Amino acid sequence: MNCEKYQHLISPFLDGELSAKESLAVKTHLSICVDCAKIHEDFAMVFNLCEDSFSEADEPPNPQALWCRINNIIENEIKPEIEAEETKRKNKSGFLTRVFNSSWQFSPTQVVSSVLGIALISSLLTVVGIKNFIPSEDGLSETNSEPTLFESVLAKAGIIESQQEKHDKRIASQKSAIRYWEKRVRARKTEWDTALQSAFDRNLGEIDKAVNQYSKVLEDRPKDKIYNEMLHSALDEKMEFLREFSEL
Amino acid sequence: MCWKSNNLFNSLTNRKATILILSVVFFFGIGATNISAQRKFSKTYPAIKNVRLRLTNRTGTISVVGWNRNKVRISAWLEKPIAKISPRNLSGTIYINVIKDNQGRRNVGNTNFTVYVPYAAAVDIETRVGNLSVRNIQGGLVRAHITSEGDIELLNIGAKNVSAKNVIGDIFYDGTINYGGTYHFTSTKGNINLRIPFRSSFRLVATAPTTRKILLGSFRRQGMKYVGNGRRVVGRVGNGGASLTVTNKFGTISFIPR
Repeated sequence: MNCEKYQHLISPFLDGELSAKESLAVKTHLSICVDCAKIHEDFAMVFNLCEDSFSEADEPPNPQALWCRINNIIENEIKPEIEAEETKRKNKSGFLTRVFNSSWQFSPTQVVSSVLGIALISSLLTVVGIKNFIPSEDGLSETNSEPTLFESVLAKAGIIESQQEKHDKRIASQKSAIRYWEKRVRARKTEWDTALQSAFDRNLGEIDKAVNQYSKVLEDRPKDKIYNEMLHSALDEKMEFLREFSEL
Repeated sequence: MCWKSNNLFNSLTNRKATILILSVVFFFGIGATNISAQRKFSKTYPAIKNVRLRLTNRTGTISVVGWNRNKVRISAWLEKPIAKISPRNLSGTIYINVIKDNQGRRNVGNTNFTVYVPYAAAVDIETRVGNLSVRNIQGGLVRAHITSEGDIELLNIGAKNVSAKNVIGDIFYDGTINYGGTYHFTSTKGNINLRIPFRSSFRLVATAPTTRKILLGSFRRQGMKYVGNGRRVVGRVGNGGASLTVTNKFGTISFIPR
């Protein structure tokens, strides 16, 4: 074996990875060759150094003690936060807890009057609810029916529109729609044959007759529910009539 | 003399023959004009039992008849200037819209329809001018609206939702009032006559504000109430299962129990 080959075997020799025969051959060569012996010494020194530092760095600490230490640190950091949150929660539910936990003491008069009060309010609400739910006896449509007590109070307070305001608003919107469709029909009417034109005029005349009649009666009796309903119906009819003829 | 009388006879015969020929030509001419002024359109569709017919006519009559076949047969007689018709069959609904099909045309003649549909069909028909007639329909809906004038006749109807509306013209309904159904009849000037079973049950609101003629027949005995000085009748017949609303602004309302 030449030196080069022995130098390759020095490292496995130091690691004890060589067979007994190879180890003996390496040992023999190191005893006769100064250069290789020097390399062996250098290697051996490096190996010793590595072994020493490894043994120091990798010496495992007591894992249980380590976890105990980590746990203590975490607990010390988190505990104040949890305590602060619990205090906050307690402050929030403080009123309800106090209400339910405190003992109540009422006099018999107080109990009777509160029971009567609750009964009165609930019966009033029931009456109002039933009145709203059941259709009116005179078969009036929802928009024309009598306002409920609640609605009247709200209307007087100006929170919602009164019946009259609703009625006026509806009439105004119906009339503006009629004006729009009348314009459309006027543009188309000249193209119709005479029979269609006269049918249109005849029927529009009847609808207008109804509108005028109900409007006239309502001037004298503005609160007449049936005529109010009929006026709305006639105006709706006129609007529909014009819209349908404008398609022709 | 004989020659003269022969001549006279010949001239008389000639005159008669001429008159006869002229009158034949005249009558046939009129017939021919009538035939040429009308054209027939016909189409048949296979249909499911509860097919829906949606027919909008411009001017002219519509007659819908229920039959015991799963077919819809549309026949239309078109007067000059002849309207275009293009029926469509879309997912169980047959659409015919003469107004849309002839949009932008100045003059369109009357179109008179006769449509046969299965008994269980839903019928929704309307026309701007002309009469409407629906017979033998037991499906879910019968809607017959005339924008202006024309009579509406609904015979042998068993639908749950019925609506008939016109401005000038009569409305006649002969059919059942089904539990949970809604029935609306509205006219401005005409007479509304409703022939319904005596044992029907419904909630009624009938209004005739001008004539105040609301004739209830034997239904009068069943808890009806006149309101607004007789301009309206409200009440409940039987258990009030259906809703019946009748409004006639210048005409009368009559109930004929059967």
